[in-house]
Amino acid sequence: MTLTDTRRAYLLNTPALVVLLALVAYPIGYSFWVSLHRQNLKRPKAVRFIGLDNYLSLWQDPAFLGSLRTTGLFVLVVVAMTVLLAISLALVLNETFPGRGVLRSLALLPWAMPGVVNGLMWRTIFDAKTGVLNGLLTSLGIIDSYQAWLSSPTGAFFLTAFAQVWNTLPFAVILLLAGLSTIPGDLYDAAKVDRAGVFQRFRQVTLPWLLHPLLIVLILETMNAFKAFDTIYVLTGGGPGDATDVIAVLNIRTALTYTDFGLGSAYAWVITLITLVVSAGYVAALYRKGSFEL
Amino acid sequence: MSTVPLRYRVPWKKIVVYALAAVFALYLLMPFYWIFAMSFMHEVDAVSVPPQWIPEHPTLDNYLSFLRPDAGEALVGGRAIEETPFALGNSLVVAISTAVLNLVLAVPAAYAFSRLKFRGGKVLLIGYLVTRMVPSVAIIIPFYLMMRSLGLLDTYGALILSYLTFSLPVTIWVLKDFFRAVPRELEDAARVDRCGWLRTMWEVFLPVAAPGLVAAAVFSFMTAWNEFMFALFMTSTKAAKTMPVVAANFATDMNTQFTLMAAAGVLAVLPPLVLVLVFQRLLVQGMAAGSVKG
Repeated sequence: MTLTDTRRAYLLNTPALVVLLALVAYPIGYSFWVSLHRQNLKRPKAVRFIGLDNYLSLWQDPAFLGSLRTTGLFVLVVVAMTVLLAISLALVLNETFPGRGVLRSLALLPWAMPGVVNGLMWRTIFDAKTGVLNGLLTSLGIIDSYQAWLSSPTGAFFLTAFAQVWNTLPFAVILLLAGLSTIPGDLYDAAKVDRAGVFQRFRQVTLPWLLHPLLIVLILETMNAFKAFDTIYVLTGGGPGDATDVIAVLNIRTALTYTDFGLGSAYAWVITLITLVVSAGYVAALYRKGSFEL
Repeated sequence: MSTVPLRYRVPWKKIVVYALAAVFALYLLMPFYWIFAMSFMHEVDAVSVPPQWIPEHPTLDNYLSFLRPDAGEALVGGRAIEETPFALGNSLVVAISTAVLNLVLAVPAAYAFSRLKFRGGKVLLIGYLVTRMVPSVAIIIPFYLMMRSLGLLDTYGALILSYLTFSLPVTIWVLKDFFRAVPRELEDAARVDRCGWLRTMWEVFLPVAAPGLVAAAVFSFMTAWNEFMFALFMTSTKAAKTMPVVAANFATDMNTQFTLMAAAGVLAVLPPLVLVLVFQRLLVQGMAAGSVKG
């Protein structure tokens, strides 16, 4: 009866806390421990403590350094394309026109698509012999023979980014649309009275109101793109060569195919640190803006 | 000053909005339409040049072959065909269990955040957010080792536990926002009527918060249904392989039959797609609440 609020609150949080401590906090600690070992599943007897050697080797690990570069570029391209497309689509959806409801539903479609199915889908579309991308471009007269798009490093990289953007677009659109809906209509009326053109109105009224949701979109999409795995795994498997070998794909290959758990854990820890730094920036930025409502 | 009467002015804005809406509609729908159409084609038609946009000889054979246990032996990609019905069942069990467990664990926690002021509350809430930001690759290796020593590899248990790690924090955040919107007066009124604490929760509070519960359940169902990385790592037979894992097998097989791959893809996207279309409004609301406000 005399439970204080604080006690009651912690009691209510106990189940969730226990589960997350056991399933997230403990494995992360364990992961660090594994990363300090030479540990390969193929040689279970040869587990040996080697301190920071796995981490030190990362600086001369061409696979790791290359995939960091690929990942950085991938994040940049995906986030830029997503933001541009999402702003345009959100602006269109913010207008009233017949069929807007249908387009809104369509805008959610890619969100339902599991990453693996997204990869499958684009694989059939980009296929060198039978793909509809080739079919379409040929019938439009843009190319005169079918191309093996995914066989060239540059083509594979950009098409993979394109497929990833299609999948993650809805999330950005919804957040931006929510932001747009908070803009008071009379601001536009006032701007019109001042004879502000379309672009001026966008710059002076829309953009300032969108800054906050844009910030969230930027950071969440950055984190998402950094973790990208499913679509790439199915579409290119990291190839051709190492053209689309982003960090998550490399990490899973190291752990699953080479069963090198020690090195894989070291990779994972570096990824985690980078993600947490970005996330901390995210939380701090929102907190400073006073919009972090707890 | 313009002499043209207002109603004759060229409606540029309308034209631009319609054109953009049409382009976006095509961009969003076409890729999915293509695998959908392909799943009803014979292989010969699917690989025809130029592509058939509408199946000329529609067939259900691709879907039916999943129902025939011996179909795999006659066709390319046999094992994946045989595994598909099991995978659908596994995905369903795992996703529903994940959703239910999420609610059981998150409802008390979210209730505490929405109703009680307590010491350390903010830190705890940010703590939940941080666990959400830990990338999956960071815990996949220790998770594998943990599940192996518990004898849970290739079981539903390993998948459900791993899916809790990223869906539970989101569920708590989403529910907290929905719960705050429930007026306190309702509970106060019930308490005046000498309703006990638990009964108030069960008969008054939760029914009013039902939309939030549904949104949270759908979110966690979708996350679990779509997940690939953990499932790839921790399942190896049809006892626990989920739909994305089997669908990916279709893609990585060298002799992929496109139409079967498309049919598997359609089956894998159907449940989340239906949920998104049915609960559209609720999900958008939950997503906006869950991330725009923090």
